[in-house]
Amino acid sequence: MNITKLLYFLAVLGIIYIVPNRDAHSQEISDKNIVFIDYPGFPEQHSTWNDIGYSPTHNKVFVGVTDHFGKIALYDYDVDLRTMTNRGFIADMANLRDYQWQGKIHSKFIEGPDGEIYFSTDGGVYRSLHLRDHPHGYSGGYFMKWNPETEELTNLGVGMQYETLKDVDVDPHTGVLYGISFPQVHFLVYNPSTNERRDLGRLGGGHVPRVNFTDRWGNAYYVDWRQRLVKYEKSKGELIFARESLPAFPGTPGSHIITGITAYAKDRENGIIYLVTYGAKLLAFNPEKEGIGEIADLGPVYDLEEDPWRPYVPNLNIGDNGKLYYIIGGHGNFVKEDTTVFVEMDPKTGKRTILYEFPVSEIAEATGSDIKDKEGNLYFAGRKRNPGQEPNSTPFMIKFNPAEEVQP
Amino acid sequence: MVLSSWVNVSRAQYSFWEPDEAFAIEVSLENTELKRLPIYRNSIQSLTVAGDYIIGGTAAREGLSPFVLVASLSERKLIDFEDIENVISGQRSIRSGFCAGENNSFFAGTIANKGSDNSRGDGHLMRIKIDREGTVEIKNLGVPIPGEGIFSLTCDAEGTQLFGISYPTGLFFTYNIKTGNSRIFDDLVPTDEELRTFRDYAQTPDMYLGAALIEDDRGMIYGSKGLNEIFYFDPKNNSFHVLEDKIPEVWGRTSLGQIESWAKSEDGMLYGGNAGDGQLFRLDPSSNRVKNLGKPIMMPRIRGLTFGKDGKLYGVAGGAPGYGHLFSYDQEGEGYHVYGNPQFTMVAPGIEQGIRWRGFNLSTIGSSENGKYIVMGEDEALSQLLIFAIQ
Repeated sequence: MNITKLLYFLAVLGIIYIVPNRDAHSQEISDKNIVFIDYPGFPEQHSTWNDIGYSPTHNKVFVGVTDHFGKIALYDYDVDLRTMTNRGFIADMANLRDYQWQGKIHSKFIEGPDGEIYFSTDGGVYRSLHLRDHPHGYSGGYFMKWNPETEELTNLGVGMQYETLKDVDVDPHTGVLYGISFPQVHFLVYNPSTNERRDLGRLGGGHVPRVNFTDRWGNAYYVDWRQRLVKYEKSKGELIFARESLPAFPGTPGSHIITGITAYAKDRENGIIYLVTYGAKLLAFNPEKEGIGEIADLGPVYDLEEDPWRPYVPNLNIGDNGKLYYIIGGHGNFVKEDTTVFVEMDPKTGKRTILYEFPVSEIAEATGSDIKDKEGNLYFAGRKRNPGQEPNSTPFMIKFNPAEEVQP
Repeated sequence: MVLSSWVNVSRAQYSFWEPDEAFAIEVSLENTELKRLPIYRNSIQSLTVAGDYIIGGTAAREGLSPFVLVASLSERKLIDFEDIENVISGQRSIRSGFCAGENNSFFAGTIANKGSDNSRGDGHLMRIKIDREGTVEIKNLGVPIPGEGIFSLTCDAEGTQLFGISYPTGLFFTYNIKTGNSRIFDDLVPTDEELRTFRDYAQTPDMYLGAALIEDDRGMIYGSKGLNEIFYFDPKNNSFHVLEDKIPEVWGRTSLGQIESWAKSEDGMLYGGNAGDGQLFRLDPSSNRVKNLGKPIMMPRIRGLTFGKDGKLYGVAGGAPGYGHLFSYDQEGEGYHVYGNPQFTMVAPGIEQGIRWRGFNLSTIGSSENGKYIVMGEDEALSQLLIFAIQ
């Protein structure tokens, strides 16, 4: 099947569709730069939750799609073939029993040194919050590994009994995993090759920062309740804490401070990791192999006359052009009523440009950090609202390229 | 990002008990110029309240040394702390504080770190005094039993005599505060057969030794020995007595029985908490009969008990790997009330706007002298204090 026929086929199935015309604010970037891609073969699908990642080895994007109750499907998007495929359901592939139910995947998908894909599972629904250590509650989230070549899922075991694993990252050199638990905010270090799991303790307050990340040496980063960077210094095997908190706007509520970093994107060429906080600050972090590196304040994600800390940005990507791309809005927090706003930000000039605006019926929220393929396409895990319907939201993947039309 | 924002009905259920007058004190913070305890050395294992001051004893990870801390209720901040390494070398935890002696002094015992040759170190008795400014002064009273730590400790009402259980052997000892003389008794030490039973159930000394002691109004010292048994020690004739009644148990869990908390009511009744399965019970010392008061939550552990000025018994139930719950027990009224994980606001320099701190692993609880304030300490890598006022 040639590519034209393939695309026609996918379009007919509704698996790929081009975003309909909308108000594009940039002359250079148009509706042709963005497409939405559906997840086939899972009618009960409800949402995605930061659980997206890219594998350079396999040139695939991985996504976990949930019914937001107990069924999670693993999808991959083959960048070369432009196909989205359901690889199976997590509970079946990991041989989970009923009492080991999982509500969703909240972690990123991240490639390890062996080319295999790591992620973790999450209670994800209200019964995990309320029932907790009850026998009907949540038994705990798992570290998991997906082998794209053999299509085998390996269950690497529970991070902490009863606790969700909100995020995971991997040391690209050793394969050691770094996990974050919910609701107790424990920082975990797990070595799959030795099965050694270290609990380095609780680092947070009343709300759990959802994102951790690594630098190019394999050190891991998180925040404490004062929104200070906490680094797992791999050479010492211990945590070190920044002296100062990350920049925040005056008046940022404590509830936003303790929620820390919501997304990141890595400029690998220049060694910079861009961060966005729950207090709506964009930051440029220059990590160092040992010790905590420097932080530069890039200002607000969006210009508001009041409460600049308010915009919610649970996603961040960086293009081959060095510019940052993010979608503002979600969880009832929008800078324009019931509208998400797609922004381009140039870290060199500080200029922010609104590229698109979407009603929540088209994009209600987008998640994902640092997902760029070899062609410079950027990906987000999107979802839209379905008022009055069940499921009341629908997930889809957003593919965007600032430099050229996205080939559907 | 946590949960769907348009599912508001369920969201409303996930609320936390936040009474009007409640706050958290930031006790622990790594890498700071503020007066704070460093990571892995601040698990608050014992506390008491004297006037405006909260006095706490911490536990550290193996190889590190613990602290005695002082925090102010009125100023809502940590006032002072003393690194035990500066007073007694090689100690790891202070889990047996703080009974009150004469002249505004308090007593606690330590458990030592293992030696470099993996040998057991010596636990020490300490006298702690707090001056008007909240400054800690600690005096080393020496080693009651070489090679043993001090697992539990209490004083007599006169504040002249200490009674303790050693770790890991389980020796009972008395210590005369004035003379410094001590006596050691092996009546509570598990037999070989009992030790085999504990091993069969993977029970370690911290799980079967009596973890709390209390004196009744007649001067008898109550505690638990292994396999669900309750004993009392009569200081008048140095005799040990095992009660006919046992610690309340769930069938088959005899090996888990351990009293880890006590509180005495105004009428002289003793209220105890069973770590093994989380039952609260009342012991009438006049008859030595035990009444099972049931369980506030389904998980094991009742790590602390204390009475408030409202006459209710407050406690912390549960714990790792599950979640601690604050509860109250009102014998005359509602019975149990479970408040879940308390979530109080913590204000400190740098977080002046206040952040919410949620107590998951509550390890100890105490009351202010007038019973107005209930103080809880955490068992975390970075532990804080949570306080609420009884209205």
